[in-house]
Amino acid sequence: MEPVIEVSGLTAHAGTARLLDSVDLTVPPGEVTALVGPSGSGKTTAALALLGEAAPGVRLSGTVRVAGIQVVGDEGQTGAARHVRGRVVSYLPQHPAHALNPARRIGSVLTELARLHRPDGARGRSAATEHAAEALRTAGLPDDTATRRRFPHQFSGGQRQRVALAQVLACGPRVLVLDEPSTGLDTVARGRLAEQLTRLASDGHTLLLLSHDHGLVRAVAARTVLLERGRVTATGRTSEVLPPPAVPPPPPAAAAPVGSRSLLDARGLTAWLRPGGRGEILHDVAVRVPEGGCTAVVGPSGSGKTVLARCLAGLHERHRGHITFRGEPLPVLRHRTTRQIRGVQYVWQEVRNSFDERRTVLEQVARTAVRLRGLTVPEAEERARQLWERLGLTAEHTTRHAASLSGGELQRAALARALLAEPEVLICDEITTALDAVSTELVTAELTRLRAESDTAVLWIGHDLALVERLADDVVVLDTGRVVESGAAATVLSCPRSETTRLLLRSRHLGATTTPSAPAPPGIQ
Amino acid sequence: MLRFALRRCGWTLVQLTALSVIIFLLTNLLPGDAATVDFNEQAGLDQVAQLRKQMGLDRPLAERFADWAHGLLTGDLGTSLVGGGAVSEVLSSSVPVTAALAAVTIVLLVPLAVAVGLLTGLRAGSRTDRVVSAVTLTLTSVPDFVLALLLVSVFALRLGWLPSTWVGADEGWWQRPELFVLPVAVLLARTVCVLSRQIRAGTVTALHAGYTVQARRLGVPPTRLVLRHVLPNAAVPGIQELARTGDQLLGGVLVVEAVFAIPGTATALVEAVQNRDVPTVQALTLALAAVACLLNLAADLVSQRLAPRSEVLR
Repeated sequence: MEPVIEVSGLTAHAGTARLLDSVDLTVPPGEVTALVGPSGSGKTTAALALLGEAAPGVRLSGTVRVAGIQVVGDEGQTGAARHVRGRVVSYLPQHPAHALNPARRIGSVLTELARLHRPDGARGRSAATEHAAEALRTAGLPDDTATRRRFPHQFSGGQRQRVALAQVLACGPRVLVLDEPSTGLDTVARGRLAEQLTRLASDGHTLLLLSHDHGLVRAVAARTVLLERGRVTATGRTSEVLPPPAVPPPPPAAAAPVGSRSLLDARGLTAWLRPGGRGEILHDVAVRVPEGGCTAVVGPSGSGKTVLARCLAGLHERHRGHITFRGEPLPVLRHRTTRQIRGVQYVWQEVRNSFDERRTVLEQVARTAVRLRGLTVPEAEERARQLWERLGLTAEHTTRHAASLSGGELQRAALARALLAEPEVLICDEITTALDAVSTELVTAELTRLRAESDTAVLWIGHDLALVERLADDVVVLDTGRVVESGAAATVLSCPRSETTRLLLRSRHLGATTTPSAPAPPGIQ
Repeated sequence: MLRFALRRCGWTLVQLTALSVIIFLLTNLLPGDAATVDFNEQAGLDQVAQLRKQMGLDRPLAERFADWAHGLLTGDLGTSLVGGGAVSEVLSSSVPVTAALAAVTIVLLVPLAVAVGLLTGLRAGSRTDRVVSAVTLTLTSVPDFVLALLLVSVFALRLGWLPSTWVGADEGWWQRPELFVLPVAVLLARTVCVLSRQIRAGTVTALHAGYTVQARRLGVPPTRLVLRHVLPNAAVPGIQELARTGDQLLGGVLVVEAVFAIPGTATALVEAVQNRDVPTVQALTLALAAVACLLNLAADLVSQRLAPRSEVLR
């Protein structure tokens, strides 16, 4: 069959740096092709070239043909590229929730896109509305008028991703390009995504999947192209190209001895979202972090993990219950003493907005030690630099501003910022989602080192169960705001008692249980 | 949305009630009263006291407030202490003039500011942006009275194209559009600049936001992209600015009214304060405050529709 996408000799330069080096790629119609590589390998640059788009300062050359239309030539992007966008190739960005216009009802945007791109869409409103409804159904959302009249903020995070997918589908594209769609998804949601991608391909869509998630790629992609530092290193059937699944490293021998006294303790914690106790999201939750211990909180997305972390950090004030730190009641953040602020530090998931654009990141990271520990500025910067290097950031990053650092680099900077307070308990909320395997390893090594040397306790929130198994002594499983199970990590993860835990565990090995041709196992719904 | 609108309307009522109390108390703090102003220096103290009694100014504060509030609710704004006419007559002669002036200004202001804001925002940093920004910034930094006198001297005195003053246009002002040209030009000079800067900033932000980038990638054509995806978000700060501009225009464009001898609210208010005409001052102040509240209410409701996310970010 004639390939839908033909890329040959695609090269991208940014200044003197070479982001892509004569990449060749063909995507046959009606199946899933994966473009796999570590972060920074040029996947997104290659995908945007299919739309005839390049980031500012990036020069493209080579040939890219999409459905017979040349979108990139030796002189860069061609004028014909605009006929391709949406109609032939639709791109779903990495954080699709940011791609939704906060001021527009979702239905109005879907209808607009259908009218622009569908041949019959321009004829009448009803045809476009029908396409919009169908896109919502395909993306796994209800298609009634009430849903279509909602604004993006009225959906949950997971639903927003599906709304973004519906926008892409409403254009009726021949090729869907999905950029890291599994970022930040828990194992259950990831299973659902794999199922959905397989269904889209069987409906006749052509998919190009950009990912560093080998499990997902094994589960859905028929063919795989490996990209390493802008070069294609292998092309072929997925099973032949991808290395076999790595055997998870054995859990480390008993870490630091765990104190039996609890350091941070929350009992009867109930939290709500709207004033006056409406929108209750946590119901009577109990969590305990022992001295020098590590407690993990796991659960499907939307189960209240982040709200729990924000309650403990003192940021979510709409709660009641007993939170104690070293046996003393812990008030909300604005009433905490400097000692308490220093003792309980919080690192969250989306950190970009927490950095000031006008100062260098290092300066801001060092500031914690100045403010909370009274170090002088040079001392603090020296400490920051040491920590910085242990987390895999280079000296070159120190003079940069937040805008020029990647999500993963900022995430590690945020961790360094919290660690410079020398906290007694560190709350980590999904801090490894933006990191590739190597950086994750550096972060966990640093945490292990801290626990051994300074007896720092950790409250770890994450969806990567393998990581939880290695890090945590205790596990608390949350589902819809309730604790469904808690206990020693080894016990809970090896013989789960609750359905939620079993579901989380069952869907963790995506590649091992699903194949591109077979439907998803009945357990994943 | 409905819940928000109702709550916001409820608060506006509370605000207006509080305002009426404050206005009443403040006007009572004004030194002297109508009785002392009305009499010349020869009048004896007992004569002043008698007049005060006649005007009802000697009664306790609470009693007078109750009277006034009752009058307000029944639509009776009281009697002017100077001249003895109904206060509502003073209002009906000055408010329409100012309202017409403000309305004409706003009708011209909105499209002009949106166009300038978009033009500069879409090409931020370009030569067009720098030239237009320089011109508008210069216009804002020229004081109103300088610009007014400059325009009068050129267009009224030298060229003789336009009238320089409203004197003599007493009743028929609304039939003579040429009267509006110069005052509106002065009022626009400053407001267009402030509003277009807000829209420019909003446009720059919205243009680089993820949703605009994604809409472009999904093949939304440029004009549509600007009008349907960028503008609704870019307008949010502008709407609030517009409400402030609106109540400034209604409440106090004293300089412009003075230069062109326009019999508007600012002139009426200054006159009433000079005469210690407390009922008129009270009525005018309350009317202007009410308009300010309502304009801000409208701006909040519009912004809420345009940026509904502010509901959750609390």
